[in-house]
Amino acid sequence: MKELEEKIVQAGSLEALEKVRVELFGKKGVLAAEFAKMKDIPGPEKKAFAEGLNQTKAALQESFDARYEALKAEEIENLLKAEAIDVSLYGNRAEKGALHPVMETMDKIIDYFVALNFAVESGPMVEDDFHNFEALNLPKYHPARDMQDTFYFGDGSLLRTHTSPVQIRTMMQTKPPIRMIAPGSVFRRDYDLTHTPMFHQVEGLVVDEKGKISFANLKAILTDFLRYMFGDVEVRFRPSFFPFTEPSAEVDISCIFCEGEGCRVCSHTGWLEVLGCGIVDPNVFKAVGYEDVSGYAFGLGVERFAMLMHKIPDLRSLFEGDIRLLEQFR
Amino acid sequence: MIVTRSWLSEFIDLSDVSNDTLYKTFNAIGLEVDSIKEITIPGKVVIGKIVSCEKHPDADKLNVCKIDVGTGTRQIVCGAANVVNAEYVAVATIGAVLPGDFVIKHAKLRGVESEGMVCSSTELGLPAMGDGIMILDESIGILEVGKEFGEYSTVADTIFELELTANRGDCLSIYGVARDLSVALDRELKVFEYRQEEKMKLGIAREAEIHQEGEIDADLYYKLANLEHLHSSFLIDLRLAMIDESTEGKLDAMLKYAMHTTGIALRTYQSSLFRKDDKVTVFVRSSEKGIVEVVGNGKVLSTVGVNQDDTAKATDTSEQILIEASYIHPDVMVEAVWSAETSYATDDLYYYTSRGSNPDLAFGLSYLSMLLDTYFEFSCYEGALRVEASREKEAIAVDTKEISSIIGMEIDKSKIVSILQRLEFVINSVDETVVSATIPCFRHDIKNVQDVAEEIVRIIGINHIEAKPLVFTEANRLNTTSDRYRVKKAFKNRAVGCGFYENVSYVFTQKSVLEKYGFPTVEEKLELSNPIAEELNTLRTTILTNLLQAVKRNVSYSKKSIPLFEIGTVFDPQRQEKEVLSFVVSGHSESESVQNAGKPKSIDFAAFVDKISAIIGKFELVPCSRSNGLLHPYQSADILVDGKVCGYLSKLHPTVQEHYDIPVTFIAELELDPLLPKHINAEGISRFQGVYKDLSVVIDKTISYYEVAKVIRGLDLPMLKDVYPVDIYEDEKLGEKKSLTIRFFIQSMEDTLKEGDIEKVMESVMSALAEAFNAQIR
Repeated sequence: MKELEEKIVQAGSLEALEKVRVELFGKKGVLAAEFAKMKDIPGPEKKAFAEGLNQTKAALQESFDARYEALKAEEIENLLKAEAIDVSLYGNRAEKGALHPVMETMDKIIDYFVALNFAVESGPMVEDDFHNFEALNLPKYHPARDMQDTFYFGDGSLLRTHTSPVQIRTMMQTKPPIRMIAPGSVFRRDYDLTHTPMFHQVEGLVVDEKGKISFANLKAILTDFLRYMFGDVEVRFRPSFFPFTEPSAEVDISCIFCEGEGCRVCSHTGWLEVLGCGIVDPNVFKAVGYEDVSGYAFGLGVERFAMLMHKIPDLRSLFEGDIRLLEQFR
Repeated sequence: MIVTRSWLSEFIDLSDVSNDTLYKTFNAIGLEVDSIKEITIPGKVVIGKIVSCEKHPDADKLNVCKIDVGTGTRQIVCGAANVVNAEYVAVATIGAVLPGDFVIKHAKLRGVESEGMVCSSTELGLPAMGDGIMILDESIGILEVGKEFGEYSTVADTIFELELTANRGDCLSIYGVARDLSVALDRELKVFEYRQEEKMKLGIAREAEIHQEGEIDADLYYKLANLEHLHSSFLIDLRLAMIDESTEGKLDAMLKYAMHTTGIALRTYQSSLFRKDDKVTVFVRSSEKGIVEVVGNGKVLSTVGVNQDDTAKATDTSEQILIEASYIHPDVMVEAVWSAETSYATDDLYYYTSRGSNPDLAFGLSYLSMLLDTYFEFSCYEGALRVEASREKEAIAVDTKEISSIIGMEIDKSKIVSILQRLEFVINSVDETVVSATIPCFRHDIKNVQDVAEEIVRIIGINHIEAKPLVFTEANRLNTTSDRYRVKKAFKNRAVGCGFYENVSYVFTQKSVLEKYGFPTVEEKLELSNPIAEELNTLRTTILTNLLQAVKRNVSYSKKSIPLFEIGTVFDPQRQEKEVLSFVVSGHSESESVQNAGKPKSIDFAAFVDKISAIIGKFELVPCSRSNGLLHPYQSADILVDGKVCGYLSKLHPTVQEHYDIPVTFIAELELDPLLPKHINAEGISRFQGVYKDLSVVIDKTISYYEVAKVIRGLDLPMLKDVYPVDIYEDEKLGEKKSLTIRFFIQSMEDTLKEGDIEKVMESVMSALAEAFNAQIR
């Protein structure tokens, strides 16, 4: 019995164990031979013999099952081991491109306003004087219309200098109430460290009945918007001037680089200017033929947002398709 | 606009106002602070009085001075030539630490002991004030020998650079800024009063007269004066340096200082130019509204508020001068200047007048007289020659309820009235809700109720307005443009998933490059008239040349796999805008990794097509129908979506590849519109098993798969669910023929396929191909 047990434990592989199984439990195996002896055993002892034999069989079966489980587990383990790889070889070279940080920032801005039930509107890049300037209360002799800043074409049309003409087009095509944003490329004839001849803006306009829309509303939405974009920042409104809004304000956030302590980026003021906004000037409504309405408008530069949010140091690098910059946004 | 704390203090008491409060107040009232500079003069720099000054025995350019510095007389060697003219100077005594950690010690200069240094402005951190040391005078305060120089608040001043918005001409002067501050800080503005000593009893009328022609819509005051001795003033020179103003002589310095202080447009003339029959005769005329010319002896010497003949200006050597103070309404003048047929040259003064100079001419003249009296030996004829436009004062009636609704906060009528009064509006009447007021003449920018609302916002402070979310009627505002953004974003995300980087480039490009590669260009008459640079002198008609430029740049940055895409606008020759998607892959088709043992394959046609199809979905390729210089004639294709050509893809022509000096490159450009997703109706799905069947046919080499597929599709066999090529074989034995293997998937909607079904399909395919292309089974 001990010897048989030993055989089971000693079996080194599933094949060896199978041999042992045949030897023990097979039709011609040891146990079968033992059971065969039963018929020669006299009646009174038969019962005891049978009981003893059954116990032996059960004990052997138990050892066998345990050994079988152990060998099976070992076999699977070996199989798995054989498939081992160094996972760290992979992964960091995974194929994936990246969205442009300016476009991704623009999408994030659009997402916010679409979620607040704003329509997205668009308009042509090649504009005329009326939509780009005149209707926006920028008369012919306004300094902002300096030939230096605007790209003109031979036929007198121009490249839009802001996304505001989309406001004019939308107002002329639809009736109030209006709740829209206009994202897009705009153009100024300027090229240096902080200016590129093309950049992106998002413009917003809300128009409703006279008396319904106030400066307080503008404060509410823009404060919330800036916190959505920049996190937990302080928002400051400063009175300013734009020809197409009155009252107007510029909006600053507390500097995200120094948290208001004062640093090079914020010119040691602790604040970063990010937005312009205001209550729509009555002359703009007059130009599009609206009466008895009120509205607010705002505009922002997407490159500035992207550069601040991602701490991108060089504006011009954004237009060079430089993969060394882009791959950081994978 | 640059202001300084001590300069402002001439008009408003700021003794209890900190610089931080000033900074916050300026920003709060819309005078944005660009920068603040607090000047600190180092300690141990004191007022010294020069007792004697002699040439250095061994050095031509040095002087040996004995200077009383309060605690005794020191011998100091000085290198500045102008020290010989000086009486009072700033002396850095032993132990003083000047900017740049420059410590003043005992020194020996060419054998002569020196116990300190006579300072120039820049050595103390003040702005540059010409060559040499500072020659002090009592313009900065009473000079006490030995007193710390930094104790003079006029010197240790704080400089605020304000960024004025275009509407605030009224703040283009120290006085104007002080006036706005006085409202914000709610304190009195000091009244400037100057009573000129009567040095000359002679009235101006004896010596000068004025004539006018046409309706003059400008105010003009002229004074006549004789100049004898001109002195300079340290404080005036220092402040002009602080505001970075350059001057031409002492008279010009006084004039500019007076203008910066008061905001009144001032000019001087040599009176001799007006002299006619022994009398100074000023002739002013206006031929069109807004243009007023000042004429002397038939010659136009200036246009009011616009320019002045340089030779007419009085200089330091002029004996008799005519001083002009003018005011012209900026709107009237600027419009006239802009719409004039002949273009007017404009000078520095135009910056003031076009934004609105101060109309209080008497103030300007008396301030200037005060300066000239103080620093020059000067005598002025009594009275002034005057022309005054008949101009009505503008009045406005505002509904205070409307102001509250614009701001979004209830503001008391009494509060509005009080703010307007502080802003120098004259209240004419107040009824239940409406306030009528006369607008102060220096506020040209105020025209309607919203302008008044802005004033109220400025003074109560935006920070005191409580934010209120707008209640707005909900509506479906997901229009086609919103939808287009969503679709574009989906394309972008798929491109990124395929390894592409998004590029953003200018819509400009170089015309000669487009022409070189045979792309259309914008018609000459519709072309940009003022491009910013030669390389950006036209609108792009393709994005591909911009992408190739980006590829070239990345190659120079040692990038080996360069997959870029851009979704953007291109223009046609008529300048119509169209959105396109452009792709380029240059170099390796994937990045180097363990999988490819660091040797990835170059991009090839199949790999490129794979990437594009993963982005834009279903399409077919047919041999390319167009030609431009970028296309490879034998590896280029039109891209068909729903049977219509919507773009092309190609291997980059080897010559262009060489020109850009880049590795093997593939390009594609597609119009966006045909790719926009269409509505899809689902078809039924068969419950029965289908069968794949291959067919190899021998056909002419010149026949494209697209033509074969078209014939098969034309059969319109309902059981033929899918057809696609799986192999192509050519060898010598086949000669001008090729063997094409096509795989078919056959399935019935109604039943399990029966024996005959498959054969029937294959036979009709084969006979159609035999008929169309003389195809044979291989």
